[in-house]
Amino acid sequence: MKLRYGIAFFLTLVLQNAWADAPIPTQEPLLLTQDPEQYWQASLSGGPGKDGIPSIDRPRFQNADQTDLKDDDIVMGVYLDGQARAYPQNVLVWHEIVNDTIGDKNIAVTYCPLTGTGIGFVRGDTELGVSGRLVNSNMLMYDRATDTYWPQIVATGVKGPLTGQGLQEFRVVWTTWGRWLARHPQTEVLSQRTGFARNYRRDPYGSYTPKGGYYAEQSGVMFPLMNENSRYPSKREIIGFRTATEAVAIDKQVLRDEQVMRYQGERQDFLILYDHGLDSAWVLQGAQDGLPDNLTLADVDFGPAGPVGSRLTGLTPVNAIDAFWFAWYAFYPQTVVLDGKN
Amino acid sequence: MARTSNQRRLAVISGLIYGIFYLYAIGDLNLIGPPVWHAYLAELSLERIFRARSMLMFEAVAVLETGYLIWLISPLNLLITGLLSGLFMANVDGALALRRQVRSCTVSRGGLFAGALPALLAGGACCAPSLLLLLGIPALGALSAFFGWLVPLSLLALGLNRIWQKRQGAPPVLAKNQAFETD
Repeated sequence: MKLRYGIAFFLTLVLQNAWADAPIPTQEPLLLTQDPEQYWQASLSGGPGKDGIPSIDRPRFQNADQTDLKDDDIVMGVYLDGQARAYPQNVLVWHEIVNDTIGDKNIAVTYCPLTGTGIGFVRGDTELGVSGRLVNSNMLMYDRATDTYWPQIVATGVKGPLTGQGLQEFRVVWTTWGRWLARHPQTEVLSQRTGFARNYRRDPYGSYTPKGGYYAEQSGVMFPLMNENSRYPSKREIIGFRTATEAVAIDKQVLRDEQVMRYQGERQDFLILYDHGLDSAWVLQGAQDGLPDNLTLADVDFGPAGPVGSRLTGLTPVNAIDAFWFAWYAFYPQTVVLDGKN
Repeated sequence: MARTSNQRRLAVISGLIYGIFYLYAIGDLNLIGPPVWHAYLAELSLERIFRARSMLMFEAVAVLETGYLIWLISPLNLLITGLLSGLFMANVDGALALRRQVRSCTVSRGGLFAGALPALLAGGACCAPSLLLLLGIPALGALSAFFGWLVPLSLLALGLNRIWQKRQGAPPVLAKNQAFETD
């Protein structure tokens, strides 16, 4: 009997240990234009130390009617497993990472204010934290299981045991509260009761309504960049997507005008759809027989999970990211730019 | 060399103003609008009190919103503010006492400002020092790690300047006031 209890105790310990140390789920990395180590070498301290910017690890949510968000306030929206959640930019700007769970999925919603990028990651049983280091002004996250460092935009380990591995992403929609609520009336909203004392009524970098301070299109960049380009003002908002072999930037203004864009990639074709309701874009990868001909937005409905329609059958969603132009180019200098002229 | 109560009062007021500026610079004190009256405790634990945001800047544990003013209350930041304010007061007090000595006064005031300024530049916007945000010069970003040293630098410089003032004849900080000016 004692032996049985002993074995059970031992197994419990082993399982607990395995659970605590389970690394973050990874996949083959997306496009890398440098060796991972070079990103680490180009990184520098932004000022705060590790976890000096505290991630929200026990997020609380409220119903839409309990929030005091205004219609034009920026939120990052996530729709997973039939559940919609909005993460207000004025909260994320102080924390940059929310370690959350939706359904049975442990996720991290991440936001780097300096590069204007919101990206979701699957985090498994560990959590992501803010390292305090930056590369190309983009935050380096670290995972608390292996202490591997991950620049948010390239989403690939650059230092630590998982160097060279890619993180699993999901879509985070950059939109306004009014637009998100219209699309997802049942949405929950991240509460300002984060467990931390912050002035959530002030953005330390500037303003999005109207754009000002650091977020103004012509304003300067604060940290050294690996690659620079003056095609657009530094803070011009673009929508980017990348595969294992290429990166594509979409001029958001051109997409608003054209509504549907196509891109013939090296290996696949891509369809880019403008979502008027969210003022955002969805990127779909073509099926083996290519893209549907003469598709217009009249052929598409935008549901909670994105575009749907019989003519989209067989197309695969590709993650798209809103970003400042300077940051996209700094990581992807060979990026294709869809500006309506090509 | 002696001081009057007016000098001491001036030193105290300037020290308090310096403290307020410091709290504003590190983001613990701010103006908001529209006015709100609200207070809440974020988390009161030793771990939170001692949790550093960056060097010598600590997490707040409570928020007090009083009309147009928001105050993020961090016990350790208040302690450091008290130290900086006290040293600033002592420096102003010493500089006023030395004001008749032209050379000493100039050096003393120079030391006072050189000591007081770094702490006011140490504040961070979140993941970058506020000064870099203001200047927007990418090359300076490489220096961001050193911004954390500005508060200890201020403490050291103000302390050294006060010792120097004392050696030049400024009265000790705790010496009694003189009822009227002697000269």
